Amino acid sequence: MRRPAKVLTAAIALALLTAGCGSGGSDTTADGKKVLRIALWNYDQTPEFKALIDGFKAKYPDIEVRPVDILSDDYSEKVTTMLAGGDTTDVLTMKTLTDYARFGTRGQLQSVTDEAAKLDKAKYGGLDAYDMDGEYYALPYRQDFYVLYYNKSLLKDSGADLSGLTWPDYAALAKQQTRGSGGSKVYGTYQHTWRSLVQAIAAAQTGGDLLGGDYGFFKDQYAMALDLQKSGAAMPWATANSQKVTYKTMFTTDKTVMMPMGTWFAAVLLQEKAAGNFKDDWGMAPLPQLTADGKATTFGAPTAFAVNKKAKNSDAARKFLSFASGPEGAAAVAKIGITPSYTDEAIMNTYFSNQGMPSDDLTKKAMHPDTVKLEMPISEKSSDVDTILTEEHQLVMTGEKSLDAGIKEMDSRVKSEVG
Amino acid sequence: MSPESGATALKRRQRRTTLVGWSFILPNFLGFAALTLIPVLATLLLAFTDWNSYSTPQWVGLENFRRMLDSDTFWVALSNTGWYAVGHIPLTLAASLGLAVLLNQKLRGVGFLRTAFFFPYVTSLVAVAVVWNMLLSPDLGPVNQLLKAVGVGHPPGWTTSTDWAMPAVVITSVWRDMGYYMVLYLAGLQAIPAELYEAARVDGAGPWQRFRHITVPALRPTTFFVLVMLTISSFKVFDLVQIMTEGGPGRSTLVLSQVIFREGIKQGRFGYSSAISLVLFVIVLTITVVQFRFQRRNER
Repeated sequence: MRRPAKVLTAAIALALLTAGCGSGGSDTTADGKKVLRIALWNYDQTPEFKALIDGFKAKYPDIEVRPVDILSDDYSEKVTTMLAGGDTTDVLTMKTLTDYARFGTRGQLQSVTDEAAKLDKAKYGGLDAYDMDGEYYALPYRQDFYVLYYNKSLLKDSGADLSGLTWPDYAALAKQQTRGSGGSKVYGTYQHTWRSLVQAIAAAQTGGDLLGGDYGFFKDQYAMALDLQKSGAAMPWATANSQKVTYKTMFTTDKTVMMPMGTWFAAVLLQEKAAGNFKDDWGMAPLPQLTADGKATTFGAPTAFAVNKKAKNSDAARKFLSFASGPEGAAAVAKIGITPSYTDEAIMNTYFSNQGMPSDDLTKKAMHPDTVKLEMPISEKSSDVDTILTEEHQLVMTGEKSLDAGIKEMDSRVKSEVG
Repeated sequence: MSPESGATALKRRQRRTTLVGWSFILPNFLGFAALTLIPVLATLLLAFTDWNSYSTPQWVGLENFRRMLDSDTFWVALSNTGWYAVGHIPLTLAASLGLAVLLNQKLRGVGFLRTAFFFPYVTSLVAVAVVWNMLLSPDLGPVNQLLKAVGVGHPPGWTTSTDWAMPAVVITSVWRDMGYYMVLYLAGLQAIPAELYEAARVDGAGPWQRFRHITVPALRPTTFFVLVMLTISSFKVFDLVQIMTEGGPGRSTLVLSQVIFREGIKQGRFGYSSAISLVLFVIVLTITVVQFRFQRRNER
């Protein structure tokens, strides 16, 4: 009796030890289908993933797609940890260029330069941002940029023309449109707490370098943002931050007339309208500019898929990449109001034919900016500079530091801490 | 039975007892070893390397420590962590002891009150942080409304002000933790023999004298335990700050654990972040050892 008990104990101990070491399961299903695992975020709330996966499954019925769903806020940390642990998930979504730079330079991604060569460059935008010494390690499937959303119902009787706004025009309109007080106050505009809404706009439109350590070019944009909150035409940064205000709530509950935001917000508005949570009419205008020369310069960021170097099913993963970045994937995401990287007339028609999507000329103009600069250039410094600029942005926007002192501190910290 | 075989039997029995003993602690120890011991030892080594979690670690000697000493952010975070501890430890100690003494009396509804004060400790930390952020909101929050109502012209900006963000975090953490330490103190209070108080009362000692000369000395072991636990938790603070202020505004509430998290998990500089962890570990260890020394001297 004693011996079997010992053997059993040993077996349990061994089982306990090895149970934690398995990774990811097998690469084929019981009925012989190939399994493709895709790391993505908030699957239920991010319809583009479902649209792409459904489209892919229809084309390749012999591949079983399994989403690896990660909480959006934790996405990059979680993927970093997964890769460090030798994870074999096939496709990794590159949520930001900073993540891409990090994974790419560490050699954690497969080169997809050959797949990139198959794409029609005339119709495919955003690829340049993924160039790493002539190689591409990810293919973008969506290309977001910032536009100015506005609530048509609230703006209706004002006769305001948003087609060629400069920043002073925008500020004046915001002040003019602000109404009510207390709980029923409607702000003329809402500028979310992100530093990009001041800094990346300034960098894109003045040509300033976000990594350069010389941030004088932020000044006008900050002066306007501070003036908007001081005059009561925009919610103060401190309130928005401490209340964890979401931009979606600000816009869909009629708390603001205008709001500069990324093109992804259109898909959110379509969903909200379909669900009956938002009843007003809305539209997009090009982001206001420094001068009224008719050209629209904005900033944005592409989102891409990459193949894990340790992928179990590299072939299937590559098929998914070329599907998602090509015309079929573009049509699938355009159908739900997402701006694809690959665009042609048919795809844009699909985009504007969405139920609830405004199709006026101004919205169409907003969707065709002349120049889309990168939100943040990729470099090893990006992430450190981002941290410093975010910290100093908070101090300037809360009034803890004067604008000049804040910019001076950004200059000196980026120079001394990042170099 | 010969004496030798008796001895072997004894030895065998001893060995069996040992094995049984091991088998009891083994499951727990395996978990501890895999999830705590090995990572801690690994940190010790990694602190001297350059490692991005993917490629092979490169030995860099004391480079990480030199970089730390040169880093402005490290010193800011270290002093913030110190400030947090200086606020959090005595305030929590005083609040929990005060509550325990109050709720150790035979009052109507004392059970309800004890539960009520313990509740924050079992509440989700995210909820605590979000609700306190709302309470302390500079313009609309009830706290500042109240301060204005009682005549404070310019109430603090709390989490939006570099001067008041740390006090805001400390207040929230004291509110959250005091219930837990109150329970520890209650247990200590109930272990004090009632005769001591009776004798003191007969000798004419008032409530303050009884508290000062009986309660406080009798609670010394509890206080010591609470102090050690509070010190360790104060230096490790992460979650509350991360949710309430994310270290801001600017770097005014940035604490060491956040720097460790940022450098390691976010920036992938695991060697550097291990070095900071090691320094944090040494600081906490030193303070705890000093506390133990003091306690031992007081016992003598």
